[in-house]
Amino acid sequence: MRLHVLPTKRFKTFSLSLFVGIPLTESRATSVALTPFVLRRGTSSYPETISFRERLDDLYGAGFGFDLYKRGDYQIVQMRLDIINDRFVSSEEPLLKEAIKFLGEALTSPALENGHFREKYVEAEKRTIAKRIEAIINDKIRYASERCTEEMCKDEPYRLLALGRKEELAGIDAASLYSEYRSWLSEAVIDLYVSGDTTLEEIESLAKDSFQLPGGSPVAYSEPEFRAPRAEPQTIVERLDVAQGKLNMGLRTDIGYASADYPALLVYNGILGAFPHSKLFINVREKASLAYYASSRLDGHKGLLTIQSGIEIDNYEQAVRIIREQLAAMKEGSFAPEDLERTKAMLSNQLRELQDSAFERIAFDFNNVLSGSNRTGESLLRDVTSVSPEQVTAAANRVGLDTIYFLRDRKEAAANG
Amino acid sequence: MAKEEYPQLQETLLHEKLDNGLDVFILPKPGFTKAYATFATSYGSVDNRFKRAGHDEVRVPDGIAHFLEHKMFEEPEGDIFSTFASQGASANAFTSFDRTVYLFSATESIEKNVETLLDFVQNPYFTDENVEKEKGIIVQEINMYRDNADWRVYFGLIEALYTKHPVHIDIAGTPESVRSITKEMLYECYNTFYHPSNMSLFLVGGVDAEAMMERIKANQSRKTFGPGGEIERFFDEEPETVRTPRLETKLPVSLPKCMFGYKEIPGPQRGEEAIRRELASKLMLESLLGASSPLYQELYDDNLISDGFGYEYNTGPGYSFSVIGGETRDPDELIKRVTEALGQAAESGIDERIFERTRRKRIGSYLRMLNSPEAIAGEFTRYRSRGGDLFKLVEAYESLTIGELNARLREHVNPSRMSASIVRGD
Repeated sequence: MRLHVLPTKRFKTFSLSLFVGIPLTESRATSVALTPFVLRRGTSSYPETISFRERLDDLYGAGFGFDLYKRGDYQIVQMRLDIINDRFVSSEEPLLKEAIKFLGEALTSPALENGHFREKYVEAEKRTIAKRIEAIINDKIRYASERCTEEMCKDEPYRLLALGRKEELAGIDAASLYSEYRSWLSEAVIDLYVSGDTTLEEIESLAKDSFQLPGGSPVAYSEPEFRAPRAEPQTIVERLDVAQGKLNMGLRTDIGYASADYPALLVYNGILGAFPHSKLFINVREKASLAYYASSRLDGHKGLLTIQSGIEIDNYEQAVRIIREQLAAMKEGSFAPEDLERTKAMLSNQLRELQDSAFERIAFDFNNVLSGSNRTGESLLRDVTSVSPEQVTAAANRVGLDTIYFLRDRKEAAANG
Repeated sequence: MAKEEYPQLQETLLHEKLDNGLDVFILPKPGFTKAYATFATSYGSVDNRFKRAGHDEVRVPDGIAHFLEHKMFEEPEGDIFSTFASQGASANAFTSFDRTVYLFSATESIEKNVETLLDFVQNPYFTDENVEKEKGIIVQEINMYRDNADWRVYFGLIEALYTKHPVHIDIAGTPESVRSITKEMLYECYNTFYHPSNMSLFLVGGVDAEAMMERIKANQSRKTFGPGGEIERFFDEEPETVRTPRLETKLPVSLPKCMFGYKEIPGPQRGEEAIRRELASKLMLESLLGASSPLYQELYDDNLISDGFGYEYNTGPGYSFSVIGGETRDPDELIKRVTEALGQAAESGIDERIFERTRRKRIGSYLRMLNSPEAIAGEFTRYRSRGGDLFKLVEAYESLTIGELNARLREHVNPSRMSASIVRGD
């Protein structure tokens, strides 16, 4: 486990983040996803869920949670703990020490029975994760986004949900999950971040006794595979009972977070669709009144760029045409100098702003760990500021449309099917 | 300029009421890079019948406060987002039941951005053409919410609880009401509710408070506003009983969604008593329904709730109600189990140990919230509009008694004032 400490007096809290990552694979994704759900049910010291949560309440309502996501070709489990700095409360126990102890136990010393996880917890959390997977369809914006990625990446593990596959759940039991968990702990790359009024020395001594990790040298994250877009973009149309059509596009680039060209790609994405002054918002929403939202999002760890918009179903062709025109304009270098300046100003603001949030600072630094780069907020800000129009155009020509996905209603199925 | 120190929280707040009636608050956060500002008017979706001094009473179409919010961003020289972007600021706005809030966050040119914020909100520019154009965008926003099961079940509950009070009207209105809006109506609402005396500016972050205050005063003194005048708001009398005990909506969902809650006879609307009542209600609900409550664990073990199960206590001018629920395999069973447990607790009283632990948890969450400029700005103005002080909540929490919570519980849980809203597929 590597320790990272971001000392600061700015916040009233200590913020802890634990990142545990292994390569995303068909065979393990579901058990890895299920693991943090089971871990949050109880530890060896607080084996009952209610006592586990009461403990957090007693630590002045410490905020505990976890996330699951895909970064590059990895599946990452993040556990978070946010706890008050003792100086604001009259606590009988040292809160930072207790927080690290708690987090260490949550990851490495779960509640067990008969040498494996508690069956009751595993069965309940299998239901919980199944419900989560099924619930994706309830949120049509999220559903369309997941489906677009799935279609675009259908030949690689990245098509999988970070939550894994529902069909796999039935084959998992308390004993098999526990053994998966043990090998996950020994193979994963583990990073612990602490932000707050503390030092690396203090965290080193506190973490030493709190994490019961199996031996083994930690491996670093390796570069993801950047695939070229399809020669001819595919179009997928799906029908559900919806009032609004969801138009998503998936694009690919070979420029990753660690690349020297990444700042130009960030600026490209900003001019195209990341902000309310961007081409997509202006042309799809403000000029054509086609949508309430129209934006683009960049995932620098996998070289994916996605576009999303909610439109009147009959306006599909017009919306696709307008969006493709914006992509073509970017490739030709057709954007105003003001748009370049506005985008740089907005990106600079974002990079400076993240200094004011403990968890965002942690997430920013973890990008380095993931990609083997060494960017600071200041260095990326400098790089973004010096991007030239030609570099943006060059980046635009390394982004290719791969998939158009449209979620629409069930009407006129025959005519368009 | 008044300066209030909160030594326990290590915060200092500056306040000044300007000659034109605008309330300005500045909370410097030494060490912070960014600044976050909100410019808010006490005007939201519920204000659909009103009268300003010297004018006739008017009734306006549903969704107009929200429409107005959209339209404020357009200036004669174009879209104000571009101006903010040139100044490195990220701007936005939202409309709630009783407030419309314009905001930005920025790390540079803070003074300039504050002026841009004041200037664009104080410069309405509506034309027949730009009002027409906005209708397509807002109809798409409405359609987006129509497909959103969480929003539908939540709003369904308010529709089931309220008959007359406009809180039950969708904040964005309907496609029909939106299409009926004209620029004249927008100006009428603007002139009524956007007078400085009905607004407040809150600025938090790494700023030089005194220089900032001077800049704001200079900006305001350059502009002339008519006299503010009283605004009268009219609400039809809301019956004590609910409109309907149950409202079902069909929408494709993986599991039914169920929210239920109790409508209260509104208590004190402003001042210390109103704030205590709100805090006691939230503490009471957290003690009984929070993730570390025995009831929550039982319901989770019986597969009746998921992680999304929760509660909310919502209160504003003329309304207050609770919202309890989430997704569930069996809405009727969930309602039965929770209402029985609440009824029993009303008889036996809340466990003292749970009360103390929950109080500690709420104080911790409150202190954690103070890390976030966005949350501070939002919560400060909300408490202020109710005559309270966000920075005095620790004392308020500490002085609450279990007796107050139990009284609140017995008053709140009234079966004749309960409704349920359910969204399910076929």
